[in-house]
Amino acid sequence: MIIRAKFTKRNYLKYLSHLDLMRLFQRSFSTIQMPIKYSEGFNPHPKFSIANPLSLGLESECEYMDIDITEHIDIDDFIKEINMVLPEDIQITKAICLEKGESISSVLSWAYYEIKVDLNQEESVESLEESISKWLKKEEVLITRLKKKGKNKVPTEINIVPLLGNITIKGLDENNYIVINALLRTGEGGNLKPVQLMEAMSRDLNLNLDLDSLLIKRIALYAEKDKNIYCPL
Amino acid sequence: MINKLKLDKVLMKVEKPARYIGMEKNSYKKDLNKVNVKFAFSFPDVYEVGMSHLGLQIIYNLINSVESFACERVFAPWVDMEREMRKEGIPLYSLESKEEVKNFDFLGFTLQYEMSYTNILNILDLSHIPFNSKDRDESFPIIIAGGSCAYNPEPLANFFDLFVIGEGEEVILELLNLYDELKKGPYSKDSFLMEASKIEGVYVPKFYNVSYNEDGTINEMYPLVANLPKVINKRYVIDLDRMYTPDKLIVPYIDTVHDRIALELFRGCTRGCRFCQAGILYRPIREKSVENLVKISENLVNNTGYDSISLMSLSSCDYSQLLLLTKELMRKYEDKKIGLSLPSLRLDSFSIDILKEIEKVRKSGLTFAPEAGSQRLRDVINKGVTEDDLVNAVTYAFEEGWSRVKLYFMIGLPTETDEDIMGIKDLAYLVKDIFFNRPNEERKGNFKVTASASCFVPKPFTPFQWYGQDTIDEFLRKIYMVKNSIKDKKVVFNYHDADLSYIEAIFARGDRRLSDLLVNAWRKGCKFDGWSDLFRYDLWLEALEESNIDGSFYANRTRDINEVLPWDFINSGVSKEFLIREYKNAIDGKTTDDCRNGCRACGITDCSMRGAYN
Ligand code: SF4
Repeated sequence: MIIRAKFTKRNYLKYLSHLDLMRLFQRSFSTIQMPIKYSEGFNPHPKFSIANPLSLGLESECEYMDIDITEHIDIDDFIKEINMVLPEDIQITKAICLEKGESISSVLSWAYYEIKVDLNQEESVESLEESISKWLKKEEVLITRLKKKGKNKVPTEINIVPLLGNITIKGLDENNYIVINALLRTGEGGNLKPVQLMEAMSRDLNLNLDLDSLLIKRIALYAEKDKNIYCPL
Repeated sequence: MINKLKLDKVLMKVEKPARYIGMEKNSYKKDLNKVNVKFAFSFPDVYEVGMSHLGLQIIYNLINSVESFACERVFAPWVDMEREMRKEGIPLYSLESKEEVKNFDFLGFTLQYEMSYTNILNILDLSHIPFNSKDRDESFPIIIAGGSCAYNPEPLANFFDLFVIGEGEEVILELLNLYDELKKGPYSKDSFLMEASKIEGVYVPKFYNVSYNEDGTINEMYPLVANLPKVINKRYVIDLDRMYTPDKLIVPYIDTVHDRIALELFRGCTRGCRFCQAGILYRPIREKSVENLVKISENLVNNTGYDSISLMSLSSCDYSQLLLLTKELMRKYEDKKIGLSLPSLRLDSFSIDILKEIEKVRKSGLTFAPEAGSQRLRDVINKGVTEDDLVNAVTYAFEEGWSRVKLYFMIGLPTETDEDIMGIKDLAYLVKDIFFNRPNEERKGNFKVTASASCFVPKPFTPFQWYGQDTIDEFLRKIYMVKNSIKDKKVVFNYHDADLSYIEAIFARGDRRLSDLLVNAWRKGCKFDGWSDLFRYDLWLEALEESNIDGSFYANRTRDINEVLPWDFINSGVSKEFLIREYKNAIDGKTTDDCRNGCRACGITDCSMRGAYN
C-alpha cells in the first residue's frame, strides 16, 4: 500500500538538501511510529521517495512523496500526527491512500514557479513585459548544458523553447523585485530549471538582472495526459 | 534583525546553508522584545561540531526554561560563509531570531579546546564587538566563558569580562538572575561584575593583576580590589539525579558529528590517568541512577526521533550499573529499532560482554586506547591496561566477528624512550598476528589495524602540568621512527600534526601575556586552527615573532615544582600536593590504583567514594 502525500517546503527550510529532508521525514515517521515498509538487505532503510526533488534554495508549496506502508492507516489521523512533529514550514497539505499505481515521479511533467528577482535598474514593468513577450515568441533560445558522455561531461547546446509553458509577468513586489510566473517542463520528457530560464532571459534581453537575488518558489507540479494538464492529487 | 534579502543572497552561495538557519526541532523561538535577559551562546566552531556538544544542549535548555530569559545560538561561520557575510556587510547573528549578536545582553562562549581561540576573536570581529574588555562600553554584551579550558583562563583574560569555573549549569542562572535584578535599578556593567565576582566560581580577570620575575615566570597574582577571593573555587553539581536535565534536544537537520542521543551516565573518573585533564576537573565521580537514566532516555527518544543512544561519560564502562542499564534499555528499545553505543571502551572482558549485548542491535568499529606502547610507559602515565588485556580483548573481538581495530597512542610522554615508541609498532603487529593466527575458516572480514598517535600536550591540573613538551623535531623523529618501521599494508599508522600540538601546548599553559599573540595570529588570518587543513603554522610562527613571544618558554620548558603557575589561583578541588605526589610516582614508574579500590586523598572534600572505602 502506498500513501501519496503533498507537502510544503517554505521559508528558511528551502535550504535543506534532499538528503536532510529525507532524514527529517525518516525521523518524523519513526516518531509517530508509522508502519513503514523497510527495504531488505544488510542495511534496511524505510521505503519512501520524494518526486522531482527541488534544488537547494527553492521554496515550494507543492512537493510529492510516496510512502510504502505495511498496513492500512487512517489518512486524516496520519496528516494530523505527522504535522505535529514536522516543522511548521514543512507540512503535509494533502494525502491519499493508493493500492498500487505508477510512481509519482513518472507522471509529473510540468512545474509551475514563482520567480522573483532584483531588476537592478530603472525599467518599467510594461516595457519589460513587452520585451519578454517578444522574446518568448522566438522559435529557438539556446542554452549550454553539461551532458554526460561516457565518463566526461560535454557542453551541449539545447533549445529551451519546447520546455516553456505559460510565462507571465506579475509586477513588482514590496522589495521592488520583479515577479514572474513560469510553467516549465520537468521530469523525463525534458527539464528546465527556473534559474536557467532567467539566465537566458537576462542574457538575451540585456537585462542586467542580479541573479544572486533570485527567489524562487515552486507553486505546483502537474501531470499531463492527452495534452491535458492536471493535478495528480 | 538582519536583512533577510541579503541573507538569502549569501545563503544561496555557500556550502551547507542549513548550518546558518536554525529552526530545528526543539529549538526555541522567543520574542526577544519580551524577555528580560538575552543570552547568546557560542560554541566557537562550525555548526556541526558545536551541535554535537552535550553541554550546549544543557545550558540552552536550562536558560530557556526560564520564561523571561532567552538563549540563542551562535557558531563560527565556515570560511565561505564568513567571506560572503563580510562582502554583503552582514554582521554575525543568532540562529533563532537572526538578531545581531551585538544586541544581546550576554555573549557566552564554551571553551572546549585551545585551538578554537582564534575563532572567538573572529566571532567578536564579525559581531562588530571590540576584543578587549576595557574597550567595550555599556552598549556591548557582557562577554563570558566557561568550559574545561576556562580552568586556565589567563591567555584570554584581556578579552573576557568574566569566566565561570566549573560546571556552568550550576552558576549560569545565578548570574542571569543577578543581572536581571540589577537591571531594575541604576545599572552599570562594573557594578554587575563586582557583584558577580562574589558568586563562587566566578572570576573577573580585570579585578586581578599579575607581577613577573626577571626570568619571565610569575611572581604573584593579586586582587586589585579589597575583599576579592585570592582563590577561585570550581563549582559543580552535587547530585546529578537532581540537576536540571533537558527532556529534549535540538535535532539538527544536517548531519552532525554526533547524530544521536547523548545519554550522560556519570561525571568524573576514578582511574587517575596522569595525562588526563578531564579526569581531574570532573572529580568527584557522580553517577545518575538507572531509574533516572531510563526516564531521561524515554523523554529524549520521544522528543527527538533519533534511532540511536550513545552512553556517554569519560569512561562509560565504569558506570557501576552498566549491565543493568544496558539490559533495561535494550529490552525497551529493541523492537523500536533503536541502537545503543558505547563511545569509550576499556580493554577487559567485562566491556566486551556488554559490547556483545549491545551489538545485537548494531555493529560498529572497535577502538582501544593503550595510549603508550610499553608496559613501563603505561605505568608512568597510570593507564591501567596490560598487554594481556589487549590480547584478550581483540581475541574476543575477532571471535565475535570484528575485523577492524583502531589503537590510540600518545607520543612525547614523560620518560619516554625509543624502545617505548617502538612498542606502538609491536602492539599493532601483535593485533595482526592474533587475527591471522586463527584458523583460516574462522577469520571473518577484511582485516585492518590502525594505530593513531597524537602528540602529547601537557595540561593544567594534571600531574604532568610541569612537564616540558617534546620539541617538534623530536616529535617528528619519533613519528618517522614508527612510520618507517611499518611495512605491512594491513597495518596503518596515522599521526597528528606536531606543529598544531605545539601551538596548543603554548595556550594550554599560557598566561596573560599571550593575548597579543592571539590577536596577531587572528590578524594574519588564523582561524579554525583545530582543522589541520586550515591550520597555518607559518602564520603562527610570524605571529610569535612579531609578538616577541618565545613559544618554547610555554610549550617545551619543564617547570620547577615551586614555580607559580598561571592557573594556581583556581582550585579544581584536587590539591597541588596530590598532583606533585602523582608526578613523582610517574617519574618513578609507580602506579596508583583506581580510587574505587581505596581513596588516594586527592583533596576532593565531598567525595562519596571516599566515604565508601575509607
Ligand atoms: S577523594 Fe579519594 S576517592 Fe574521591 S576522587 Fe579523590 S582520590 Fe578518588
